[in-house]
Amino acid sequence: MTRRVAVTGIGVVAPGGIGATAFWDLLAAGRTATRGISLFDPAGLRSRIAAECDFDPFEHGLDADLCQHADRYIQFAAVAAAEAVRHSGLDTGATDPWRTAVSLGSAVGGTTRLEHDYVLVSEGGRRWDVDHRRAEPKLHLAFSPSTLASVVAERFDARGPVQTVSTGCTSGLDAVGYAFHTIAEGRADVCIAGASDSPISPITMACFDAIKATSPNNDDPEHASRPFDARRDGFVMGEGAAVLVLEEYEHARARGAEILCEISGYATYGNAYHMTGLTSEGLEMARAIDTTLDQARIDPTLIDYVNAHGSGTRQNDRHETAAVKRSLGAHAHETPMSSIKSMVGHSLGAIGAIEVVACVLALKHQVVPPTANYETPDPECDLDYVPRTARPRKLNHVLSVGSGFGGFQSAVLLSGPGGRTR
Amino acid sequence: MSNRRPGRAAVTGIGVVAPNGLRTDAYWKSVREGLSVLDLISREGCDHLPLRVAGEVRAFDPAALIEDRFLVQTDRFSHFAMAAAALALDDAGLGGEPADPFSVGVVTAAGSGGGEFGQRELQKLWGKGSKFVGPYQSIAWFYAASTGQISIRGGLKGPCGVVASDEAGGLDSLAHASRAVGRGTDVMVVGATEAPLAPYSMVCQLGYPELSTLDDPARAYRPFTEKACGFVPAEGGALLVVEDEDRARERGAPVRAFVAGHAATFTGASRWAESREGLARAIRGALDEAGCAPEEIDVVFADALGVPEADRAEALAIADALGAHGTRVPVTAPKTGIGRAHCAAPVLDTVAAVLAMEHGQVPPTPNVFDICHDLDLVMSRARPAELRTALVLSRGLMGSNAALVVRRGDDSAR
Amino acid sequence: MITSEVTFDELASLMKQAAGITVDPQELKQSAESPFDVFGLDSLGLLGIVGELENRYGTSLPPDSERCRTPREFLNLVNSTLTAGA
Repeated sequence: MTRRVAVTGIGVVAPGGIGATAFWDLLAAGRTATRGISLFDPAGLRSRIAAECDFDPFEHGLDADLCQHADRYIQFAAVAAAEAVRHSGLDTGATDPWRTAVSLGSAVGGTTRLEHDYVLVSEGGRRWDVDHRRAEPKLHLAFSPSTLASVVAERFDARGPVQTVSTGCTSGLDAVGYAFHTIAEGRADVCIAGASDSPISPITMACFDAIKATSPNNDDPEHASRPFDARRDGFVMGEGAAVLVLEEYEHARARGAEILCEISGYATYGNAYHMTGLTSEGLEMARAIDTTLDQARIDPTLIDYVNAHGSGTRQNDRHETAAVKRSLGAHAHETPMSSIKSMVGHSLGAIGAIEVVACVLALKHQVVPPTANYETPDPECDLDYVPRTARPRKLNHVLSVGSGFGGFQSAVLLSGPGGRTR
Repeated sequence: MSNRRPGRAAVTGIGVVAPNGLRTDAYWKSVREGLSVLDLISREGCDHLPLRVAGEVRAFDPAALIEDRFLVQTDRFSHFAMAAAALALDDAGLGGEPADPFSVGVVTAAGSGGGEFGQRELQKLWGKGSKFVGPYQSIAWFYAASTGQISIRGGLKGPCGVVASDEAGGLDSLAHASRAVGRGTDVMVVGATEAPLAPYSMVCQLGYPELSTLDDPARAYRPFTEKACGFVPAEGGALLVVEDEDRARERGAPVRAFVAGHAATFTGASRWAESREGLARAIRGALDEAGCAPEEIDVVFADALGVPEADRAEALAIADALGAHGTRVPVTAPKTGIGRAHCAAPVLDTVAAVLAMEHGQVPPTPNVFDICHDLDLVMSRARPAELRTALVLSRGLMGSNAALVVRRGDDSAR
Repeated sequence: MITSEVTFDELASLMKQAAGITVDPQELKQSAESPFDVFGLDSLGLLGIVGELENRYGTSLPPDSERCRTPREFLNLVNSTLTAGA
């Protein structure tokens, strides 16, 4: 059984913009939300910059318990999910809860809270035999990665399959992909899908310092995230969440919902190469793109825009450029490919979902978001990266791709409403 | 990728790293005999914690099963996973790099991550400074570590995934794998391993209201009894090879079992009374997908949480979904002898179900002697029975319910 | 500060400590022109060794140090940096 999967609602909590409107304003203007870290004192770190969300949970209608006890990444997800459900017009009271699923991704889950309480129970890292009496209440909710999907499922009374996906930096794409399968294959009619991460904490910043993956451009944070630019020097950490309401196509039509676009394909592969390394050939990402297009029966020449992983590390940018050329052939040179990480940073597991939402908005506005800060071409990255300025363009089939630690290579295809050839 | 129509999802390989036995034969011997290995926790730095009893994998020597470098580069949960994956691939006759790397994928479930590794690196960060955090922290702590390492070590480029879930995620991962096979991937390496017994990970688990804090290993985890007082955690787990049946036949591999049906529902964290309906619906959904009548179920591997309200909900869910057959079908919970290894618990149960069908014996429920629910719970010793179809149940502490139907494989595999 | 150069013995023990790679120091010395990956050391392992040396000697090593391909190249660069700073 293969059923069509519609997108009927989106919600986003991103650096520089909470809510889909503010988020799109940022992307369309090519503004960057990267800055010096304010969430903790980053003194001593190699990379002291990030794209932070100006987020106050009390401003977004969350109940007191979530505001006081839930991790930041859970709060992000709850706010983004509420926006997406509201946007979809879905009446959760009138929808069969047993046919409503949740699929949410996160790469590092509750690590910020885990680190906070670790400091308390270890007396500042002094003891291995940690003192449990110093821990704050409800720490187990940070320990369990499934808290993310569980909290969102409870809020919207979803009682179908509820899962948390954690495939590193492709978590967001894969969570949307799993949701796509869940609906296409008939296990649910509605799925609240997306991802969230709040990794701007000492341990996560320090572990990326240790492998020099993050940008040390502390003096010029606004211009530090430079995907595909010859002067790039690593990614800039981000945080945030994005959630989509995915719905079986006829289910959405029957209730008169606005269909924003369709998810028309998804695939993922492992590169079986290295936990952090990427080849310069891009073979496995190309395979993910090829399989995705096969599923949707879309010819590569019909792709109008590629939303890149574009993290701004040298190996990623080359890997990805090679992969897209391998899959799209000569058409790759005619296809704009941009990275919104230049503006909102790299929020690990969340960014895949944020990028899918950016694609939904690009389809809606018929505008390709730019790669901010792109100034100096790299001879090995020779595609059209949409430098600095958003570009109006007729968009129908849009591809979002991602790579993650562990070797994950994923692709999601979005097709404009009514524009899908079958 | 092949153009032929995918066949059924066949189990052709099993690799076990369990508290009661390393490798499948040793695990089955302990399970069949109803051996309980629950004991006081012996890991360094844990003596003073109010969580006293667990199922530890004490005989595991990672250096004997995986390359030395992984001892430094990854966490214990990935050591378990890599060892179990290699055992499962060997069992399936699929050792060595695959001819088509894209034909073999990996999916694991993970509920606790690389906690011991993470605690060491947190100690370096906060005790000494950020420059003392090592490069492998970025790949060892996160939930995706095991899938990535298995994929790289085996040269496996097929669909790779990670369900970071509560306990029921273990069954979800098996469903993921069988669906990937249904979409055309030849082979999936699938399962879960956990290592949640490092000091800080244990502190994190203390908040679960369902946790047993009794210090007597014989009494700490006794589901379905009047003395039920919660569950005890465990480490270890299992990986299986799930393969397209036709592909297995072509290469002459014995089929040990079939993953026939799965369904999952959600009824909210710690809302155990409501899990009755959720679990019953999951059972019906799994039977439906398997094309299986309730009467065909020959044995049930229970979730057996050990919380009175949850035990009652499970007994009622079995009755709701299986009707009168629910009170007659043998039910067992071998995990009372080893504890609950989070996502790995239902995967170990699935392995026990396959082995029970192969050996024609329902294993007993260790430490449980007198139950207060209307179930035919197998206690004390294994019960011989012709077993063709098994039902494995799992519920998670964050609210998921899942059911998996497993069918017996070839007689020649027994 | 530094009292002696980093030797092949020390590099072998760093490879064990930082990346879990067992290598005989004699063999390391004899095959000093072989790429690190021949010994099983990956890019993360080399980053770990650089970090350990920086912490041990309280000084920064040049960015090129983590891009060295062979033990000889690495020790030459590290020792020239450490002695220059002494």
